[in-house]
Amino acid sequence: MSTVTVPRRGWPAVLEQELRDLWIGGRGLALGVAFSILMSVVAYLVATNRGLNFLEHRETVNLALQVAVAVGALLALLAGADAVSGERERGTLESLLLSPVSRLGLTGGKLVAALSLWAAAFAITVPYVWFLGRGVGVVGDSLATGAVVGTLLAVSLASLGVLISVFAVSNRVSLSLSLFALLALFVPTQLPSGAQKGWLGEGLLRIDPITAGEHYVGRIVVDGRGWTEDVSWLLSPMIAAVVLTTVALGAGSRLRLAGGVAG
Amino acid sequence: MSAAVEARGVGRRYGSVVAVEDLSFAVEAGEILGVLGPNGAGKTTAIRVLTTILAPTWGTFTVTGIPFSRPADIRARIGVLPESGGYPERQTGGEYLRYHARLFGRSRADSRAIADELLAEVGLHERRRSLIGGYSRGMRQRLGIARALVNRPDVVFLDEPTLGLDPAGQRQMLETVRRIARERGACVLLSTHLLAEVEETCSRILILNRGRVVADGTVAEITRSAAAPRSATLRVAPGHAERAGALLRAVEGIHDVEVPQDQSGLLAVTFDRNGEVSVNEALVALTRRGLPILSFELEGARLSDAFLAMTEAV
Repeated sequence: MSTVTVPRRGWPAVLEQELRDLWIGGRGLALGVAFSILMSVVAYLVATNRGLNFLEHRETVNLALQVAVAVGALLALLAGADAVSGERERGTLESLLLSPVSRLGLTGGKLVAALSLWAAAFAITVPYVWFLGRGVGVVGDSLATGAVVGTLLAVSLASLGVLISVFAVSNRVSLSLSLFALLALFVPTQLPSGAQKGWLGEGLLRIDPITAGEHYVGRIVVDGRGWTEDVSWLLSPMIAAVVLTTVALGAGSRLRLAGGVAG
Repeated sequence: MSAAVEARGVGRRYGSVVAVEDLSFAVEAGEILGVLGPNGAGKTTAIRVLTTILAPTWGTFTVTGIPFSRPADIRARIGVLPESGGYPERQTGGEYLRYHARLFGRSRADSRAIADELLAEVGLHERRRSLIGGYSRGMRQRLGIARALVNRPDVVFLDEPTLGLDPAGQRQMLETVRRIARERGACVLLSTHLLAEVEETCSRILILNRGRVVADGTVAEITRSAAAPRSATLRVAPGHAERAGALLRAVEGIHDVEVPQDQSGLLAVTFDRNGEVSVNEALVALTRRGLPILSFELEGARLSDAFLAMTEAV
């Protein structure tokens, strides 16, 4: 009988391959280009509006940053939603499950790879924020706030995508449910401004990690508040990131070939 | 030394449906065990349980002495070609094998060497830089076999490896299976529908039906124990057919004799199960009476007959 070493930490190999699949000949590059075009359009529009005095200087930066955070997190969600159900649909999941790498390692590697889309989106955002924020001393704070809030939201949404993907029997179901969940999270932003006030309205904004995170970005970038002054708005993005990551990895560690988790 | 695979009363239930009821067998290193059964017999479920993809609902098993409660250790020592395995279309054959070698804990350099060696072994070295999306069905199956060998496994599970292959591809695949057992000393569990090839390739056979093992042994043992009904076609001189039919009906162990009405002299004889002796007695009965036998062809008692008899498909 042969002597075989069982790899205890196989996730780096999974991560490496996932990054290759995503960025070399995969969708990562195309999504990056599409994101750049979107940011260019947004930057052009907000810069034009500023030129016409429709928007304050700081508001242009805030608007561009909020779009970058929302779309960057959306990309992470989509990559997460494809992580397991995509393999299941292509028939490649069984061969991965047949390796000695733990299911937690497989899911973890895929989750981290999904976050690379957010990292790339943020890197693309940097020059736009610099361009829009020149002269008002807001670039550093904007980028730092965007990085923190965006990362928390990207981790939350990528985990949500992976969680749905673990249970979904098809990729279409996984992507549809993930997008539906994302739209539901954006609902509070569409409420009339009157409904966003009062304890119920503010409570809703605070509970929803996306609205709470974007509200926090606005407070720092537009209102020039300190990092710690409104930190309570970061509570729900942080809780969402921790809880969703834990649940997604927990479900992933028991994922089944046919969908769902082992009892 | 422990068996390569040993299963004791393994069962697997999906809700109220019992896919595998009582799987018990042992197989040694270097053996090729053919796993046969009609559709829905539980072959794929049995393989998925033994390869730790599914947990058994009851029963126990070991692979190279490792209990099923240590699935990662078992997976490190087995290679599997799943029945409906897919392949990443955008990876090259070389990249695919290197990735899987890395999943088994190999270093980058080792993974590269293993991938090159295996691609050469299955005849895909020339296409190692081609995307799998451009591979034919046979090439994908060979790549799948190579993937199953990246960890130099002690036990190889092949679920329908010849599915969708043309006759030349099937023969090539079975030759690869034999080579794995011969040169690597690995135990191979081969699930297939190709009974004739199983007779040639497998040292032992396990027949499953409705989730249970209905036969376990060599081809000769199984055909004997199945006692499949045998038949023969006999030709006597025209005009003697009626008389020959009457003589044969009198022989003990002959179940039925059909005498043709077309004066061809061809008789269809069906023997009782366990009718090995009656074949000789039938011939003796005719020759003693001076009836000239122009031709005699014995049919049946092959694995396919045993298979049909044991799986109640006749």
